[in-house]
Amino acid sequence: MPGQFDYPLAVLLFPGGLFALVLGLALKGADRRLAARLQRRVGPPLAQPFFDLVKLARKRTMVPDIAAQPVFLGAPLFGAVSMMLAAAMVPIAGIYTPSPVLGNLLVLLYLLAIPAVALMVAGSASGSPFGAIGFSREMALMLAYEGPLVLVVAAVAMRTGIGSGGWVNFSLTDIVAYQRQHGAFLFDPVMWPALLAFLAFYPANLGIVPFDIPEAETEILEGPLLEYSGPALGLFKITSALKAVVVLSLGIALFFPLAPEGAGGLLVQLLKLLLMMLLGVTVLRVSCGRMRIDKAFRFFLKWPLALSVLSLVIVAFAH
Amino acid sequence: MTTLIQSLSRRCQTIAARSPWIYRINAGSCNGCDVECATTACIPRYDVERLGCQYCGSPRHADIVLITGPLTARVKEDVLRVFAEIPEPKVTIAVGICPISGGVFRESYAVHAPINQYIPIDVNVPGCPPRPQAIIEGVAQAIAIWRERL
Amino acid sequence: MNVLKMLIGNLVKGPSTIRYPFGPAWTPDDLRGRIVFDLYACTGCRACEQVCAGGAIRFDKTPQGLRFMMWHNTCVFCGLCEFYCPTRAIRQSNDWHLAHPAEEAYRMAIREVIPYIECAGCGGKTLASAPNPVGVEPPFTPEEIERHHHLCPVCRKKAMAERGQTS
Repeated sequence: MPGQFDYPLAVLLFPGGLFALVLGLALKGADRRLAARLQRRVGPPLAQPFFDLVKLARKRTMVPDIAAQPVFLGAPLFGAVSMMLAAAMVPIAGIYTPSPVLGNLLVLLYLLAIPAVALMVAGSASGSPFGAIGFSREMALMLAYEGPLVLVVAAVAMRTGIGSGGWVNFSLTDIVAYQRQHGAFLFDPVMWPALLAFLAFYPANLGIVPFDIPEAETEILEGPLLEYSGPALGLFKITSALKAVVVLSLGIALFFPLAPEGAGGLLVQLLKLLLMMLLGVTVLRVSCGRMRIDKAFRFFLKWPLALSVLSLVIVAFAH
Repeated sequence: MTTLIQSLSRRCQTIAARSPWIYRINAGSCNGCDVECATTACIPRYDVERLGCQYCGSPRHADIVLITGPLTARVKEDVLRVFAEIPEPKVTIAVGICPISGGVFRESYAVHAPINQYIPIDVNVPGCPPRPQAIIEGVAQAIAIWRERL
Repeated sequence: MNVLKMLIGNLVKGPSTIRYPFGPAWTPDDLRGRIVFDLYACTGCRACEQVCAGGAIRFDKTPQGLRFMMWHNTCVFCGLCEFYCPTRAIRQSNDWHLAHPAEEAYRMAIREVIPYIECAGCGGKTLASAPNPVGVEPPFTPEEIERHHHLCPVCRKKAMAERGQTS
């Protein structure tokens, strides 16, 4: 198989681990800079997230007296490690195919849920009432957006499976290969409801306005992250950067993985990630206000859920 | 080998000093200085994010502390508690004349000014309220002091 | 789609940030900034001490003369002292660069002394302060002000009477 690296190397260096971390922080830097320019401000330098991480490494982590210490310190580590693994599981068309040892789309779905759970657990382990509020809000939001995600993934898997003669195929490598043969799902009208549901899902997962309700907001003093400082907070920032890369790469792999072979494929992937970040995350972030948690919950249980169920039904009866 | 480690550490210090996060404590202020601090941080005209600063919502995330207001008796304990929550290394800026000397409230029975009897202050920015550009000047001086403590 | 139009407009218009400290910051001419004290023009009336809102101005009688002391860290920059001073000895410049390290807090002060001298008319001990120009018609010439600096209040009255005034 082209470009199949040994999986420890894939997890630690490329495309997981170090590569995904640098890419995620660079994307976040570009996002902050463009958001500032869209608001007629100058904005931080592009490497600002790197400076933030270096600074956080030099402060000390303070643990509250009432916190459950092993959980308090272990939760961010859990989130970061899961995202490092997940980044090595998403194929980059043309240059990287994940080793089958790492698992398929179902494992990736579980890994995607772990950072949110880590945030929730961190909020409740810190022992502060703001953390508890963040915990309950994150739980509500997660319940709301996980449903559409699973159904969208099932729809894509079913389309690939039915198209290649079987019933359902959860291997991301096969999904990418199917699209390279038969055309990307982005241009397939049958998959458009699934695409819309995915577009509604990823802002909630990445924690950007209008759905950044549980974490990092001025209403509940940053919620679960309130009691974190120093390297533990740095781990949360690392998790968030890695998650951005994983979710955006997953979106690209599910709907538009077409790319030339070799180094051109890597460039095209980076360009696609940058475009998705700037158009999908930044423009959305500066033009919306934050939604209330009950409104966001009701929104997800209405349109994205309906669209994803519709896409599943259409795919099942489309052939 | 040790010089390499030292120069690397010095380089990390310079890099880390480019990301100071600001936290504002209102110690009984009339809100004039708080409005100027909010103006400095949030509006596009005096954007502090270009200096790498970011307003954080939690004292645990802070590096530079802006204190406004004379330390009123009612709020003194809470301010001292919140100040203790901010991890080292940190720099404290007294914004406005109230924390430095009590300002117009100097002879009041309810005010425990000057604040540096309770909290060590590093930079003073006098004014009632100080201009946003003056606050940015104070923040720049504080960043220089903070860099040495990192 | 108003939002998108506004965002594209913002990109085109560019940042509206004032680039201080990496560029100049515009200061209006009548900004109420740092206090400037002109010792020669002070009459020693202590009106500024009375009206100072922050209690920043203090006069003390010392063996050397009348000492004027003003601390910027209690000044509220209201401008009352400038308003009430009869000779504009105390006024506000538009200098707002006042941020300083906390160790220098007590150096942000103005300390000047109006000295005691011997009166040129009668030889008694008097303050070398400026004469009060309020209500004087025609106004003092600079030579008259210089002469009054060396006279005690009694001799000043005599000089005013010679001039045709009573105060």
